[in-house]
Amino acid sequence: MYRYDEFDHQMVEDRVAQFRGQVERRLSGEITENQFKPLRLMNGVYLQLHAYMLRICIPYGQMSSRQLHALADVARDYDKGYGHFTTRQNIQFNWVALKDIPDVLAKLAGVEMHANQTSGNCIRNTTSDQFAGAAADEIEDPRPWCEIIRQWSTFHPEFTYLPRKFKIAVTAAGSDRAAIRLHDIGLIMKANAAGETGFEVYVGGGQGRTPHVAPRIRDWVSKADLLSYLEAVMRVYNRCGRRDNKYKARIKILVAETGIETFRDQVEAEFAAQGAEEKVALPQEEIDRIGAYFAPPLFDGEGGAEAFEAAQAEDREFARWCRINLHPHKEEGYRSVTISLKPEGVPPGDATESQMRLVADLARDYSLDDVRVTHEQNLVLPHVGIGNLYTVYLALRSGGLASANAGLITDMICCPGLDYCDLANARSIPLAADIQTAFTDIQEQEDIGELKVKISGCINACGHHHVGHIGILGVDKKGEEYYQITFGGRADEKAQIGEIAGKGLRQDEVPAALKRVVERYRSVRTGKDERFIDAVERLGTDPFKEALYDAD
Amino acid sequence: MTSVRPKLKPEQFKAITGWETTTGDVIWMRGDGSWTKIAAELGAFAGEAAEEALAAAQADEAHVTGAYFMQVTEDGKIDGRETLRESIRANGPTCHPQFAKGGR
Repeated sequence: MYRYDEFDHQMVEDRVAQFRGQVERRLSGEITENQFKPLRLMNGVYLQLHAYMLRICIPYGQMSSRQLHALADVARDYDKGYGHFTTRQNIQFNWVALKDIPDVLAKLAGVEMHANQTSGNCIRNTTSDQFAGAAADEIEDPRPWCEIIRQWSTFHPEFTYLPRKFKIAVTAAGSDRAAIRLHDIGLIMKANAAGETGFEVYVGGGQGRTPHVAPRIRDWVSKADLLSYLEAVMRVYNRCGRRDNKYKARIKILVAETGIETFRDQVEAEFAAQGAEEKVALPQEEIDRIGAYFAPPLFDGEGGAEAFEAAQAEDREFARWCRINLHPHKEEGYRSVTISLKPEGVPPGDATESQMRLVADLARDYSLDDVRVTHEQNLVLPHVGIGNLYTVYLALRSGGLASANAGLITDMICCPGLDYCDLANARSIPLAADIQTAFTDIQEQEDIGELKVKISGCINACGHHHVGHIGILGVDKKGEEYYQITFGGRADEKAQIGEIAGKGLRQDEVPAALKRVVERYRSVRTGKDERFIDAVERLGTDPFKEALYDAD
Repeated sequence: MTSVRPKLKPEQFKAITGWETTTGDVIWMRGDGSWTKIAAELGAFAGEAAEEALAAAQADEAHVTGAYFMQVTEDGKIDGRETLRESIRANGPTCHPQFAKGGR
């Protein structure tokens, strides 16, 4: 993984010192909240329902054992013993005192972490496939490109005050696990006719109150041109994006209102107009230098296939976990392990201090010191030899982290909702808990198969409800919480926005309604190979809407 | 960014609430103008007295951040459109009962 050089260290340390001074001035009353707010947001500090919330950047969701231990230290020393992993592959602490935040950031700087650009109208953390560098279906590792984009975009003076926040995602896999077309810019690595790897570029995707699936703006951009092309997109957005109405300020609105053809022409004109001195130089040596940080680790073919098979034969729950939570690895004899942060009764994405330490130790001992955060709010050990899988499973089980539900109906994305978020209209987490209880039978879950439920507590859609196979949006009706259901959304390579079913339901009505929907799906599917989303694609949403409201 | 609170009429009873600047803890103004972290101790204000209390809170930014009116009954119980949100602020997140606060 990328390691800071002396400049990175200095930059982050300077930033901590700067923010320490800003906090001191705020606490002394020298500056007002209005003056302080943009400064704290640039350092990942929000003011939420109960307290300040600190969002810490985990670049493209990758961290080391040491970094995860540092996050566990923050949970223990400055929060209430836990952290919350987010859909942006970051972590949030919900109870940190403002007076302590400079110390937290100083501690994190010591392990090459920070909170820069986790808020504000700038280019945010670049996200990626959680199996990057390990996945059997990728054409190359996208992480060097995430890092190159991170270095280009961090503190970029031209893009510090964009009309609105800006999110970029990169994948190099055939299956889109990074919700590429729901980002302001989505990049898919692919080869051109000559066999050179470059990028297919999508622009103008996003969720929130006006969801859009990003259209393709360019079929292929070379590696050498990537940053210059991104800069051309950003310049058109910075120049033409609306600043008069924050609800219309995202690039998705600009692209939709301008039309993708005209927008493409504007970007191409900007790209063509860049003089040689304006192009962002990206020489091969620099690409190689960054790429070296992500060189494939030494896979020593640990063996253990026999023991792996034997353990599955002896322990049915382990066998189930293997069927559901393991992902194919590009190296023979290895698997990527999804650690579900959705055990029953726990808010989705939460991990306690001790769970973080357990995962950190397992990563150090069994996954080449590598841990990932997924945008579906789980953790991943990307490189585990099959001979070690049973040991890892037993350790996870002892820590309450062996739920065999990755990708199943109880593996929900869920925003913090009204329990924590001051913007929310309704609670999300208690509803997620009710749904988990309704579908507690793991055999039933496995029989249902892949079904992505996503819950947001307001139209800002932090819980990605627009792209849930079943999406749930909390709304406020005269002070009461109701939940609007959508069907058919998806964030994969066939990305689309879900269709609203009809009137909202009360919280206590939702689990039984979903049960009816799932039963309808099981009765109409052509076989277990036809997932819920496939059935919606084949039949449309009508059969499921009918089941949703068929309470009698 | 915080959500927009509903405007309250002058005659309606209100409490003054915000966040303690140093910690971010939720606080409420008592009837005597001092601050408390226990919602049960909040003061109910109305009319000119409420406006004066809010102005005093907003002038004390080193201590309290984001002070605003919250609707209550005459005897200080949380009331009105924002009852659920304000009850969660007062009692703690319903999904984490271990972090319950004093409440009201």
